[in-house]
Amino acid sequence: MSDMNALAAETPAPPSPAGRKSRSLAADAWHDLRRSKIFWAALVIIVVVLLMAIWPSLFTSADPHDCVLSRRHRGASGGAIFGYDYQGCDVYAKTVYGARYSILVGVCSVLLAGVIGLTVGLAAGYFGGWLDALLSRFVDVMLGVPFLLGAIVLGKRLAAEPGNSNGVLAVTLTLGILGWTTGARVMRSSVIEAKNQDYVAAARMVGAGPARLIFRHVLPNAMAPFTVVLTILLGINIASEATLSFLGVGLKGDAVSWGISISEATGYVRVAPGPLIWPSVFLAATVLAFIMLGDAVRDAFDPKLR
Amino acid sequence: MRGNGPWKMAAGAAAIALLAAGCSSGSSNDDQTVPNTISIGIAEPESLVPTNTTESNGSQVLSSLFYPLVNFDEKSTPYLVAAESITHDKANKVWTIKLRPGFTFSNGEPVTSDNYINAWNYGAYGPNGQLASFYFSKIEGYAAMQAVDPDGTGPKKAEPPKATKLTGLKKINDTTFQVTLTSGFAGWESLMGYDCFYPLPKAAFASEGVLTKDFGEAPIGNGPFKMKGKWQHDSQIQVEKVADFKGTVPKVDGITWKIYQDQGAEYADLVAGNVDVQTKIPIESLASASGDLGDRLQKSPSSSFSFVGFPIYEKEFANRDVRRALSMAINREDMTDQIFLGSETPAKSFVSPVVEGYKPNTCGENCEYNPIKAKQLYTAAGGPKDIKISYNVDGGHKAWVDAMCNQIKGSLGINCTGVGEPKFADLLKKVEKKESVGLIRLGWVMDYPLMEDYLGPLYTTDGSSNYYGYSNPAFDDLVRQGDDAPTTAQAEKLWGQAETILAQDMPVIPLRFGQNVFGHSEKVTNVNMDLFQKVDIYKIELAE
Amino acid sequence: MFRFIVRRLLQMVLTFFGATFLVYALMFAAQSDPIQALVGERPITDSQRAALTERYHLNDSFLQQYWYYVKGLLTGDLGTSLTGRRISDMLADAWPVTLRLSLMAIIFAATIAIVAGVVSGIRRGSIFDNATLFVTLIVLAMPIVVLAPLAQLIFGIKLGWFPPTAGRDATLYQLLLPAAVLASLVVATELRVTRASVAENMRADYVRTARAKALTRSRVIGVHVLRNSLIPVVTLIGVDIGGLMSGAIVTEKVFNIPGVGFNLFRGIRTEDGPLVVGFVSFLVIVFLVVNLLVDLLYAVLDPRIRYE
Repeated sequence: MSDMNALAAETPAPPSPAGRKSRSLAADAWHDLRRSKIFWAALVIIVVVLLMAIWPSLFTSADPHDCVLSRRHRGASGGAIFGYDYQGCDVYAKTVYGARYSILVGVCSVLLAGVIGLTVGLAAGYFGGWLDALLSRFVDVMLGVPFLLGAIVLGKRLAAEPGNSNGVLAVTLTLGILGWTTGARVMRSSVIEAKNQDYVAAARMVGAGPARLIFRHVLPNAMAPFTVVLTILLGINIASEATLSFLGVGLKGDAVSWGISISEATGYVRVAPGPLIWPSVFLAATVLAFIMLGDAVRDAFDPKLR
Repeated sequence: MRGNGPWKMAAGAAAIALLAAGCSSGSSNDDQTVPNTISIGIAEPESLVPTNTTESNGSQVLSSLFYPLVNFDEKSTPYLVAAESITHDKANKVWTIKLRPGFTFSNGEPVTSDNYINAWNYGAYGPNGQLASFYFSKIEGYAAMQAVDPDGTGPKKAEPPKATKLTGLKKINDTTFQVTLTSGFAGWESLMGYDCFYPLPKAAFASEGVLTKDFGEAPIGNGPFKMKGKWQHDSQIQVEKVADFKGTVPKVDGITWKIYQDQGAEYADLVAGNVDVQTKIPIESLASASGDLGDRLQKSPSSSFSFVGFPIYEKEFANRDVRRALSMAINREDMTDQIFLGSETPAKSFVSPVVEGYKPNTCGENCEYNPIKAKQLYTAAGGPKDIKISYNVDGGHKAWVDAMCNQIKGSLGINCTGVGEPKFADLLKKVEKKESVGLIRLGWVMDYPLMEDYLGPLYTTDGSSNYYGYSNPAFDDLVRQGDDAPTTAQAEKLWGQAETILAQDMPVIPLRFGQNVFGHSEKVTNVNMDLFQKVDIYKIELAE
Repeated sequence: MFRFIVRRLLQMVLTFFGATFLVYALMFAAQSDPIQALVGERPITDSQRAALTERYHLNDSFLQQYWYYVKGLLTGDLGTSLTGRRISDMLADAWPVTLRLSLMAIIFAATIAIVAGVVSGIRRGSIFDNATLFVTLIVLAMPIVVLAPLAQLIFGIKLGWFPPTAGRDATLYQLLLPAAVLASLVVATELRVTRASVAENMRADYVRTARAKALTRSRVIGVHVLRNSLIPVVTLIGVDIGGLMSGAIVTEKVFNIPGVGFNLFRGIRTEDGPLVVGFVSFLVIVFLVVNLLVDLLYAVLDPRIRYE
């Protein structure tokens, strides 16, 4: 290792990228973003989905709970442009109304998982030593707990809390608490890799403090894989919210969500694929939008691409 | 440090190779090539000890290993099998069973009265914790064999029970024994057709009243087949023909009970011809099953009965008209056609059509779909504006509960939600604590083919499955009189009268009667299923 | 190096007991009525309840139950499941097939993810890159409960290329289809992470330096970029190995493989504490060993990382 340090010292330390551009980085990024087609496409999808979540009656006048068995699996007609599902409910209305809980649960649980994963991964990776040992072994223990078991126990416990009338809070917390481990391990690995880079050593040598090192140098260079894990987790969480319903600890009452619609339609996929495909398309489009947004922002903020 | 790199890589690779080597020990054993054997799909049985078997998978395997005292014909009337005669006194209290001579267990031991008495004593003895124990409760001396925990679920241990033997069992000679019941029961002969009344050989016992540890892994029975090797858990159980079997000889030489974790997987194997019989086609595959299987898809009656119970203790359901209106708000035909694709039939009586004494449509207009009258009744009775239907999510009930809620919403103009509890036990707990659960999803599969097996446990005040707290002394009385009646015909008449009380009171909403929907491969023919969800192993044979 | 490994092994012992304690506690918390769960919807008599409660120590406090478990463990006895089977037998039955299945799946997934991820990371915005993104989204949006039966129907029944189910003593050939389905669970994340990591490293200064030194493109990518991009990917694969072993519930059900995921699911559903803890104990060991190997691999991939 000592020879590596020597080597690092010999090569001229590259100027800290953030430092050089800090004055105009955000402005430059915005300038780039404005011209990026991908950015605008992603933004449009996200805005539409958010509108759906906030104001579903804007998109459909049908009631997602108006279900009649005799309409079961009937094709598209009138306002029901996606046809009817196995209960004879309007698939389009259900998909529109499903956006609210799916987005709420998906985004919030990923944010929660992201915050925990980032903190744990960063602390373990950067400081190493006993803190790393403690945090990493804790992650190992968490990974060993089967998702189903954790979900049942957490879900039951959280569902008993007052003020949990529709189950959204319980589901979000459950998915967030059980979902952060992968992100944490990936973050830790990227941090371990980044903190050994030459420019970090150089920055340290010119007297940068730990906070500056972490937030200016290590973190920006360790974010890429972590961000990817989180965007994929968004899709996984939106879909696995339904798993919790199947365990009896999911959303309560007659809540509609994409995850529930998808899992209900799976049994009939050979007979009527429509009720499965449409909510899946919406889920995929939402995840796609977040992936594209992440890529566009990432590119815009990368000084090396200039 | 850097020099260690390749070395570490090698160590890692070696570790992975070791892991891989450690797990490649599995060897395939293909015994499928034995001629004249068939395979039947089941799920992992809970146990293969007869007195501990209460579900259809174990029961199915045991039916090949054991020979019952009685069996049932198509009309559910018992006929003698291993018994030569079964007689009883006038009060139906003392029953004398004479065994057919010359039968042996598959290990060569002769079958004697002692084998029955020892097996039944073992099953009845409380501390053995046998799941079918309650079947023996009608025999004299059962109560004295049960441990009573002095402080319920507290830390104190239960005192061992006073008796280890049923006083009601008496050996007359090697082939005759007598059963004395605590009170007369005309249906006792039918009851003895159940699995827990099989005999156990001496070899099953390590010492008196103690079963050998591994008996359940390879049970020795008095039936036409014997175990080939041991029970291969989660994989398969193989049985082969007993040479010179004295009873009815099956047409196949061996059966492989293939164990499936999932009915979908079993169905895939059935279509591909890797398993010969599937006893329950999963509902998701039903739509395509007639195309996949053609006339190899079959149906037969089964004893299952699905209903929802009203928690009578809740004020809002105390009014009979509220209960009637909810029942009339449901279109049963639509539900069985659309959700169950005709695999179940609408129920409009309180006992299953498979038992003698069943009368169709005893529920009358209360079970006819009539949304207009339902709404009138409901409004007049001031039914709740918001109701719940509680069910356990692990049983695949969501689809029809949601459909039922939608029908109620449509008919009555009220709000209805299905509430999923993780397990049936969670649901029961809430009911026991008298929490507000709304309507309760319930089902029943009969233990023996008598009306009493529906009326007693489900609707009498102290019925073992009367979770909703229905209690009507007049009804209880009629059921008890039926039990004591000297002939089954008289008993059925009294039970029929009891059922009319149910139709007036509507403590539950009858919904559906089940059917066995089963399929078989092209390799086998003559596949029949009985009321207990078992394939008739005596009739099934290879196709030409 | 040696001290590092010894220290990790010591940590593993503590972690192992921590994990079993946690899982035991969770099972205890999840238990509502294991005896009722055992008999399903049948009524149960008080006498049976008393007998079974005593047999499985269900009346004892949580710490007492955990003590029984640890005591058994130290004498090499993993205990008995509520179904009456010995846990050690169940482990011996379930682990081999799960190990084979999950290792096959992870090899599939890692190969596809790394190859496709590297290519799309180098050629960002190309048709290939967009195609992998599209496939990723399909796999994400199509739940495994649809994918697995569909694969079984198409490749197992309609085309007949593979046997539709595998079973416990499955051959490698029988496991191909389930392994491919299982791989789809993790391939999306692994692929995207590889792509992001490669794309990141392609912009790094050393690549410019290497190019400036007129190194061939394949050497730049093969030696410099790949080696530096693999750390997050290897981490992810390490996590996925364990995840696939415990999380293959749907795949194992659809292809009738009585492995670890299936047993865990059954144990959780029937509130079978000893069964779940027994399987999780092994799972935790797998996680610990794999993560140790992953940490050692970091040092191989990036010599600047070192442990002491």
